[in-house]
Amino acid sequence: MTLCCSSLRSLSRTVKTGGLFNRTADGRLRRITKNAPVKILTKLQKSWLKAKLTDKRIRLFMDDETLQRLDEKLANVKPFYKKENFRIIDRFADKDNFGSDEYIANFRSALDAAKHRKIMYVEFVSGHGKRMSGKFVILKLEYSPKNEKFRAYTFLLRHDRIKCSGIMNIGRITKIVDTGRIFRTPVSVDDYFSSMKNGSPAVINVKTERNGVERFMLEFASYEKHTVRDLETGRYTVELWYDKQNETELLIQLLSFGPVIEIVGPPELRKQAKMRIDRQAELLEKYRKEANND
Amino acid sequence: MAGFSELIKNFDKTRDYVRDFFVYGCKIRSDFDRKSLRTYSDEKRRVESWMGDYMRYDDSVRGRSVSISVDSGHIPENPLYNAYYSKSFTDNDIRLHFFIMDILNDGQSRTLKDITDALNSDYGQLFDEQTVRNKLKEYAEEGIVSSEKAGKTLHYSLSCDRADDYLSEFSGLEDALKFFSETQHFGIIGNSILKMLGLKNDMFFIKHNYMIHTLEDILMPEILKAIDGKKYLKFTSFPNRHRRDIEVSEEEKECVPMQILVSVQTGRRYLAVYIPRMKRFTALRLDYIRKVKAGSAFEDYDRIKEIFDRNISRVFGVSFGVRKETGTVSPMKITFYVDEEKEDYIIDRLEREKRCCLIEKTGDKLYTLTADVFDPNELMHWAKTFIGRIVNIEGGSESIRTRFYRDIERMKRMYSGDEDEHIQ
Repeated sequence: MTLCCSSLRSLSRTVKTGGLFNRTADGRLRRITKNAPVKILTKLQKSWLKAKLTDKRIRLFMDDETLQRLDEKLANVKPFYKKENFRIIDRFADKDNFGSDEYIANFRSALDAAKHRKIMYVEFVSGHGKRMSGKFVILKLEYSPKNEKFRAYTFLLRHDRIKCSGIMNIGRITKIVDTGRIFRTPVSVDDYFSSMKNGSPAVINVKTERNGVERFMLEFASYEKHTVRDLETGRYTVELWYDKQNETELLIQLLSFGPVIEIVGPPELRKQAKMRIDRQAELLEKYRKEANND
Repeated sequence: MAGFSELIKNFDKTRDYVRDFFVYGCKIRSDFDRKSLRTYSDEKRRVESWMGDYMRYDDSVRGRSVSISVDSGHIPENPLYNAYYSKSFTDNDIRLHFFIMDILNDGQSRTLKDITDALNSDYGQLFDEQTVRNKLKEYAEEGIVSSEKAGKTLHYSLSCDRADDYLSEFSGLEDALKFFSETQHFGIIGNSILKMLGLKNDMFFIKHNYMIHTLEDILMPEILKAIDGKKYLKFTSFPNRHRRDIEVSEEEKECVPMQILVSVQTGRRYLAVYIPRMKRFTALRLDYIRKVKAGSAFEDYDRIKEIFDRNISRVFGVSFGVRKETGTVSPMKITFYVDEEKEDYIIDRLEREKRCCLIEKTGDKLYTLTADVFDPNELMHWAKTFIGRIVNIEGGSESIRTRFYRDIERMKRMYSGDEDEHIQ
């Protein structure tokens, strides 16, 4: 158990009142309990585990025989919640097939590779439908509840050196094989994340109409951001740091706020927004005229 | 006057403040106008302690604003879980915890008297039996201690479910714990198992991660209890600090909970409920709810739940519209321009994001989405992600269509540099 400052103060109080520790001759504190504390699973923790047994993603980690044994072990435990108590309202339909044996095998290979920094030979289909292959190092895994997909943060290797970084959908892997070699060059996950960031943040003006500020701030709560409020206009200016590869996703998410927000920068992002809006205005104009002519 | 303590007695207050720091990020002390200076300072210090490097301070002429700024997709552990590890406790709580664990460590069962005597003889701790009994009762309820009656006397022993045994016995459980500790639902519980074992998630990162949901989880056990027991739920709300034009009464209200609705795109979670007085379904924002308490049984639960299950299939987001019980739908059609030869990915997008709507090809490079839903207004936030492709909108209501056309005109002016709106 991690103890915060107040816990330590309380412990210290307990020490002074003749509590959990003795002071030895050399001035050190020694616990007066005879054994190291045991790590007992509470009813709540077991009931949470029991609920997870009904989550199909657990098969990614544990085989059927192990799951059955765990289920038997928790036979008398009531699950903490039922799946049907929750409803995800806006998840995308093309989620990963967690029930597929091939998917499970690929997922486990990728997870094992990430744990041990194994160099893997991987064949996969890119987002544009192209067949790709190469030797990769898998750093970590990413899960998106919106897409219900797992992805791998990878480095593509050429001649045993990092050629570039990229994100690979586990669901798009068609073959993944251990080369039997380990990638020993130290790599930092923080550096990996920094390299994915766009050079400058998106700068967004947010108006208060239609409860825009609250809606915007909540929807973009998962981003690193910095907000300044203009006292005269009541408007908010928000800087959002985003990954370059997520730019289109960010753009359409911003456009969904309509005139409640304005993309101020960077210029390329604003330009893309303007192009879409101009095209939208033209489309409406064109079809309105056609409808009138009919 | 008592000094500052990082430990929490009032979780509601913490939820209220963290939300403001986390979501808004530009409020200064005086913006928290309904709270005392001391409350503000205490809550700020707690959050600083949990969030560490993620805190951001900005000085302006108005004063210093405090915010939480974190890319939640790139951190392995939700720092807000710390709120759950900060429950206040007494000296006796902590002493009894370690000593009782130590006394029962050998696996033998003991009576209350045995344990109380051992506390005195082995550790020099003088506790009255009632205090020890209360602690044992609490631990029996939490499943840490098992109690069995032998004759008229209760015998206590430690539960044999050891976390480390589970980990060695069930291969793959450690990875599963790491993953589920950061995902819905109730990742905090998985995190508490990892913490107990001295482990941390170092493998999984969560994109589109709304960390603040963990603070709302405090309400869930009682909500789930009411749903499972087919009961009424009494609730109170936080005052609405963002919409001063809306008065939110802090009085206790009553509803019948149906299901928890989770948006993985907007960062909001709702409790879908039935309001018997109004004979209608509605969705309550979880972050606006301060407290909940399961009430008495709702006799008509099964019938209403059946109607709810039917109706929810015609809800695009969370709104049941303003209709009563059975509701009425207003079909809306949105036609999109898609060049199939070059833009099949747009058709894929429409298919995967359409939810309960239908999509069909209706002309040359034209695809029409039909939304037979309770509240067509809910579609428009999503539909605007297709700006640049919307050809026509039919049905719904006149106000929805007019607003969309006006929005496009306003946006065109705005991005042409002509925008000088006074629309507040």
